[in-house]
Amino acid sequence: MSSVDGRSARQSKRYSVTALYLSMSANERDMEIEDDLAKAQKTLRDLKTKISAQSKKNFVLEKDVRYLDSRIALLIQNRMALEEQNEVANHLDDAADVQEGSFPNDEKTQRYGNLLFLLQSEPRHIAHLCRLVTMAEIDSLLQTVMFTIYGNQYESREEHLLLTMFQSVLTWQFDNTPEYSSLLRANTPVSRMMTTYTRRGPGQSYLKVVLAERINSLIELKDLDLEINPLKVYERMIAQIEEDTGSLPATLPKGVTAEQAAENEQVQAIIEPRLTMLVEIANSFLTTIIDNLEETPYGIRWICKQIRSLSRRKYPDAQDQVICTLIGGFFFLRFINPAIVTPRSYMLVDGTPAEYPRRTLTLIAKMLQNLANKPSYAKEPYMAKLQPFIHQNKERANRFLNDLCEVQDFYETLELDNYVALSKKDLELSITLNEVYATHSLLEKHSAELAKDENSHLNVLLQELGPAPAQLPRKENKAISLPLFSKWETAIDDLTAALDITQEEVFFMEAKSTFVQIMRSLPSNSVVMRRPLRLEKVADAAATLRNDAVMVRKGIRAMELLSQLQELKVIDRADSFSLLRDEVEQELVHLGSLKEKVIDETKKLDEVYRTIRDHNGYLVGQLETYKSYLHNVRSQSEGKQRKQQKHQVLGPYKFTHQQLEKEGVIQKSNVPDNRRANIYFNFTSPLPGTFVISLHYKGRNRGLLELDLKLDDLLEMQKENQEDLDLEYVQFNVPKVLALLNKRFARKKGW
Amino acid sequence: MRQRREYHIVVLGAGGVGKSCLTAQFVQNVWIESYDPTIEDSYRKQIEVDVRAICLDLTLQEQSNLPRCGQGFLLVFSITSLSSLNELAELREQIIRIRDDENVPLVIVGNKSDLEEDRAVTRARAFSVSQHWGNAPYYETSARRRANVDEVFVDLCRQIIRKDITAAQAGEQEAYSRRRERPIRHGRRRRREKQRCNIL
Repeated sequence: MSSVDGRSARQSKRYSVTALYLSMSANERDMEIEDDLAKAQKTLRDLKTKISAQSKKNFVLEKDVRYLDSRIALLIQNRMALEEQNEVANHLDDAADVQEGSFPNDEKTQRYGNLLFLLQSEPRHIAHLCRLVTMAEIDSLLQTVMFTIYGNQYESREEHLLLTMFQSVLTWQFDNTPEYSSLLRANTPVSRMMTTYTRRGPGQSYLKVVLAERINSLIELKDLDLEINPLKVYERMIAQIEEDTGSLPATLPKGVTAEQAAENEQVQAIIEPRLTMLVEIANSFLTTIIDNLEETPYGIRWICKQIRSLSRRKYPDAQDQVICTLIGGFFFLRFINPAIVTPRSYMLVDGTPAEYPRRTLTLIAKMLQNLANKPSYAKEPYMAKLQPFIHQNKERANRFLNDLCEVQDFYETLELDNYVALSKKDLELSITLNEVYATHSLLEKHSAELAKDENSHLNVLLQELGPAPAQLPRKENKAISLPLFSKWETAIDDLTAALDITQEEVFFMEAKSTFVQIMRSLPSNSVVMRRPLRLEKVADAAATLRNDAVMVRKGIRAMELLSQLQELKVIDRADSFSLLRDEVEQELVHLGSLKEKVIDETKKLDEVYRTIRDHNGYLVGQLETYKSYLHNVRSQSEGKQRKQQKHQVLGPYKFTHQQLEKEGVIQKSNVPDNRRANIYFNFTSPLPGTFVISLHYKGRNRGLLELDLKLDDLLEMQKENQEDLDLEYVQFNVPKVLALLNKRFARKKGW
Repeated sequence: MRQRREYHIVVLGAGGVGKSCLTAQFVQNVWIESYDPTIEDSYRKQIEVDVRAICLDLTLQEQSNLPRCGQGFLLVFSITSLSSLNELAELREQIIRIRDDENVPLVIVGNKSDLEEDRAVTRARAFSVSQHWGNAPYYETSARRRANVDEVFVDLCRQIIRKDITAAQAGEQEAYSRRRERPIRHGRRRRREKQRCNIL
């Protein structure tokens, strides 16, 4: 697959040897060193693990919230049978963290360990499975594949295996899509998978770094109307005139056609400056995206590259434009634009944007998509007015899409990583019993297709395992740590032989690495640090260090290696081992900048981690609200038979105007600035599920305004995307009110 | 002049089945050849159905996620893709659940009938789906050849008109009683009668 010219082959081999050496020595814990770089690297590693784990939790929570979203509407409309209420309640009660546990017996552990090793290291099985499953089955499979089997989002082997799986899935799609226009379009398990992939840590962090600021500054301009659809502009215009003057002139009838609206001069005058602004905004988005080429996650660029090479193969005569269209069909359509159109679900903004900014964002997304496509403007003629934007940017957009594809392949590193994985004895997967069982039953269901060959490894393993167990109730579900190993042990007695490396190279690498480690541990003002390095002195300094057994051993080993390499005539004492010395010095320079990079990356990931934790908080809050509401509904229907229980009145809790404004609860206020300091609100809950919000003016006894609220009203408003709760003087934001009530009034059992 | 009625139709279906092509043929009599995925488009067309003047608003989205607005729905799949037909089931369920109405006006459309040689969904299969869905009308269209294009929109309009008339006669009573069944709410929150259509 990969193009191998002489130079890159040598380079990648050199890389392989380094990687191999590093991964082998990574196991020797006692040889670890503790300089700033090592500490920074450890922090980064920990952070990555946390992000991977948190992403998975959020994915699971999102699934729960989606499920409840679809049920809660029915519940609000009082159209849910009691049994179903109970089912939903069960779903919720057990949503707590899964307990640790293990398989009932060792044999099972071993067999599932074999199965999951096979699935992980041979991605073609899962790739095949993805084509067979239905949309209904895809969620649980995706969870297992994206967040468990290849869940270490920052580990190169798992990432590369996952990408290999994509390649197989994409190749199949290209081979089996009859028409070019349908490529990458269908809403299949495969496209769902690609979308989910773009939402893992690296993709998320890209969106945050590159787009969040732009989107947020747009959203702040709540009253900026940039509609350019003449029909809509016309309608808003005449509505305004009617409101202002009470009637409409005969020249402005209602219900005109798009053409009539577009010909109206007033409409044209309104649209003209908006076009300029839209072009300006879209330009700024595009420039940001192009400038951040290097920030684009490797995996996403690599998928673009696959799309390009598959398109070239399938349509050898296709022009560059056509191929760019397809790359854009992934990069813009599946990655960038969904985030622009619905920034909230990508955690880029806090609330759902108001109507005007939302429309502006949609228009921007349409413009970017048009850049990648070849629009005919047959669809919405008014978009043709934005043609200058396309003409001006077409070339640089195409160049950018091609630049995206310019990333290296990973096959050689992957091969190596796999060898290392095989040689490691501690490959483990953190997975839940239900994930294992669900995967097993999917394999079983599609085994006729997946394991056609009776003697295939997959079939052998499935036969051994027998029928797939049913899903466990949530309470019995356990998180286990499953040791992975191959049933068919590939003997790798001699890794060096497999990789075609000579003994000299191994010694050389070890020597280099040992010297680098020594240098990193010695104080920087030490005499031996002076350049050019005298390697013998360095080794000697380490070997004679007091109170540091590790360094002494390293020093002695370094001396041994020097003399062995000398004997093998790889290096020469006469030129002060210049071959090795230069490489060590180079490596140290490289490490210096590496530390900067590591710290830089840590900063970025910190931000990502914070975002996904915030999102987690939001999801948990949402679940809590549903839970309380459901509990409330159920206790009400039970309560009818029993005597009315006495409920304690909660509150009032007092909030100032300023407080609520700061928290975003007040999204619009008609109170004059100089009066705001005198306004406060009281929140009381006389009964579970019922709230009274009153607005007070300092010094007056009676409230100016009182509003009774029921939780189900609020939930219904939220469902219908009505975000404003009107209190005459101020407008509250419904989701924020819910969050506030949630925080203040959550009773142990419902509200 | 008689008051023109306004109806809102939502065109739904998997990506690449030809929703835009179908709609553009209907509204503008043009055939779109290029690869041009839709983010979100809206169209308007004035037509006459059984001597009624109708103003149709049409909405299309690539990720058709919120089919809550609109009086009628075109559920479009491609006869060259079985999975595109399967996807409609979930969409229909969502519509019915949100509308709380088994008989919401809808038409099932098998597009790309000109690609007979690539057919992956037999007529029999599509008809059986339509039977299962309360005998919703099924049409095979070709946006490319402009075959059956007007017919699907007109059929949908007829269904909406019929529903309008029945609702005008008997519906008010029923709507009233349904509202009464709901728990009485206190407070002054004004209920927005007109359902707003937000696209997330």
